[in-house]
Amino acid sequence: MTRDLEKHSTDPFGDDGLDALFAEARAEAPPPLSASFEARLMSAALATQAVAAPPVRGGFFARLKGLLTEFGGAPSLAGMGVAGLAGIWIGFAAPGPTADLVSSFWQGAASVSPSLSDWSSSTSGFQYSTGSELLSLLDTETD
Amino acid sequence: MTSTEGLSDDALLVQYAAGDPQAARLLVERLAPRVLRVTQRLLQDAAEAEDVTQEAMLRLWKIAPRWEPGGAKPSTWLHRVAVNLATDRLRRRRGVDFDEIAEPDDPSPGVVETMIDGERRRALDEALALLPDRQRVAVVLRHLEGMSNPEIGTAMGIGVEAVESLTARGKRRLAELLSGRRDELGYER
Repeated sequence: MTRDLEKHSTDPFGDDGLDALFAEARAEAPPPLSASFEARLMSAALATQAVAAPPVRGGFFARLKGLLTEFGGAPSLAGMGVAGLAGIWIGFAAPGPTADLVSSFWQGAASVSPSLSDWSSSTSGFQYSTGSELLSLLDTETD
Repeated sequence: MTSTEGLSDDALLVQYAAGDPQAARLLVERLAPRVLRVTQRLLQDAAEAEDVTQEAMLRLWKIAPRWEPGGAKPSTWLHRVAVNLATDRLRRRRGVDFDEIAEPDDPSPGVVETMIDGERRRALDEALALLPDRQRVAVVLRHLEGMSNPEIGTAMGIGVEAVESLTARGKRRLAELLSGRRDELGYER
């Protein structure tokens, strides 16, 4: 009975006494959870984990399949395959020079527009060949 | 002891986010009891305290994938979430703004009738249960959870001066309640 009086010799419920009581309460370990409540918490934890956790990484083929899926799946793979085969065929068959094909396009274009030499020799362009002539033209325009 | 058991709470949370179920179990065992105790003290209702603890833990699980180790401790973060959830419940329980609850000038519930044992800590919890809500929250957070007055003010939605006033009145009332049980608690008059 008197052990407490030794601990709180003045007033056990004064500021010091209460502070000592608070300190005891803080230091005390919390009681363990009941089994049923802990089971509830674990169930929620695992359910949330199943939704949020990253997918388990599979083997090489599983990752390859995932990669292909991101690029459009089997149809895109078929398209890439056809393009690749066509490239190999062109490489082996060497269909011959394509210069004629290209030049036919350029010639057509040249016939529509005048050539650069024609343009530069035209007399309808600027007639001023020196800087002083250009400056005098500017002076007359600003006046 | 498994390799996981020696990890910090931070590291366990990262492990949890990576899909380790053992990390979840260890975090529940380490963190939930303290959260349950503070929510029980604040709410004075076992079922509500469990609900709030479960909600706080759920929020921890959800934030785990985005958790940045080295910042706030998971225990501190969880504690604050739980305190906020509990004070929100207290507001809703009264149906009015928590800040507007009138404090009785001199609540006189009298000495606790049923004395289970003479333990002082038990008596403290019983006396806390008799305090008005706001005084109890302020005293619990300040003196049992070690929060600063500004932190308590933020959690309760009141100013620091109001926190100081509530804490002082709460302590005074606690002293009165416990003093009435002086003989039961083994103190001589």
